Amino acid sequence: MSDSDSSTDGVDRPDDGIALDEPVAVDRAFRCADCGRRWYYQRRRCPDCSGTDATTYGLGTGELVAVTRVEMTPPDVRSPNRLGLASFDGVRLIAQLADEALSPGDAVAFAGAHRLRDGDEVLRPRLDAVDGDPG
Amino acid sequence: MTDALIAGVGMTRFEGESERSIVGLAALAAERAVADSPYAWDDIASLHAGNALAEALGTQAGIANALAAALGIEGVATDRVENTSATGASACHRGVDAVERGGGVALVVGAEKMSVAETSTVTGAIGRLVHDREYDQGLTLPSFGGLAAGAYLDRHDAPREALAAVARKNHRNAVENEFAQFRKEISVDEALDSPIVADPLRLYDCCPMTDGAAALVIAHEDAPASGDDARPHDGGDRSRSNPVRVASAAGATGSHAVADRPDPLALESVRTAGERAFAAAGIGPDDVDVACIHDAFTVLELLELEELGFYDPGTAWEATLDGETALDGELPVNPGGGLKARGHPLGATGISQIVELVWQIRGDLPPERRVAGPDPETAFAINVAGFGNNSVCTVLTA
Repeated sequence: MSDSDSSTDGVDRPDDGIALDEPVAVDRAFRCADCGRRWYYQRRRCPDCSGTDATTYGLGTGELVAVTRVEMTPPDVRSPNRLGLASFDGVRLIAQLADEALSPGDAVAFAGAHRLRDGDEVLRPRLDAVDGDPG
Repeated sequence: MTDALIAGVGMTRFEGESERSIVGLAALAAERAVADSPYAWDDIASLHAGNALAEALGTQAGIANALAAALGIEGVATDRVENTSATGASACHRGVDAVERGGGVALVVGAEKMSVAETSTVTGAIGRLVHDREYDQGLTLPSFGGLAAGAYLDRHDAPREALAAVARKNHRNAVENEFAQFRKEISVDEALDSPIVADPLRLYDCCPMTDGAAALVIAHEDAPASGDDARPHDGGDRSRSNPVRVASAAGATGSHAVADRPDPLALESVRTAGERAFAAAGIGPDDVDVACIHDAFTVLELLELEELGFYDPGTAWEATLDGETALDGELPVNPGGGLKARGHPLGATGISQIVELVWQIRGDLPPERRVAGPDPETAFAINVAGFGNNSVCTVLTA
């Protein structure tokens, strides 16, 4: 995932960090190539070892830690917007829920194809219930 | 301990829709703060203007320069400070830094005029603070509040009334505050019956959108005053002109993405900034007589009180229900009504916390507005950006 930046003055910079701006699928997280630490939200360096090389991997099954139903949402977001904080073997994220009945402790995985915000060109998965133990 | 003194304070009334422009609000607060100080306009060396949403809402850009001209103090050094919801406290700290470095007098002003835009526009602008991957999911700050509130109640087996009790207390404190946006009491039942914003948070768990401004005159302890009514800083009793010392000012960032935190109830920036502020002031939580806590959502008041060490984890809700944080409690919290009832004009909020604590320390307020017992000697304020992205703490002493 390392990249090479080019500044507008034509001076090339060496690879020095993980790309922040490359699109990453909703259901993928990062793994540090040096120490194996995993995380979800893009950052230039590993939070543990400051390594600057990482790969992405697909999230499997996680467990809901907390849920909320947001009634007052931005104009381009569904209302209500059911959201869940989920842990995927220690990697935490917040995402839209596909099922109103999901609650803390439920096993979830990304599934389906949904428009998360009005105007989105790409359909993406929401967290939905799955059978089995959280990963 | 710093060399900076709060030599004058002033603010406008916080309200849902002000007739004044943002520069008009800022100028009024500045004039009140200077009038409250022993300093004259000519004494001011720098102006630090806090404003968070000018570009997003289309209010006056370059507010520091516009305000300097409006006040007739062109020639001073100016800058604008922006740190989302913690803009006010960060502007205060910029002023402290300026007088510690330059030895003079700084004017700090924070202002916001949120009524210029539709609620959805303001919500969208504030919602843009979140990480891009959070933004994709439609997350807003109340979303984080709802998730944290649900987790807090579940983990600590706390009743929903515990959150409503925070709102009731802060509304009660604002009734006698002539500068507050909401000057009416609410009952726990009213809070529980208000519309859902982000379950379990309801309307009365959330701060409003507000127009308003607040200002401080910050002076180096050795700065001479040339004002007409200049009075010595150490002039005996706590008259209106007696300054309050900034014992410490400290900030810290936490994770940008809220889910990156190891615990959904953790506010690492609050804990770190608080530890730094207490250490620099040479005090601990037990030494604090009165506190202003960033209660953008009721659950935040509880979480921050615990992260800062005022209460053990999972116990702030019981203390609130028992009245320990009320105006006549052991630790009065948000005696002016907090963000919940005084209001939350982003650029001004952190400064209004300092104004409130200065009034409390100086004993300027009428009996029904003052915390119980002797005038407080030590006060603590925390102003938080985002949902714990960044926290800015200030300790004041008599």
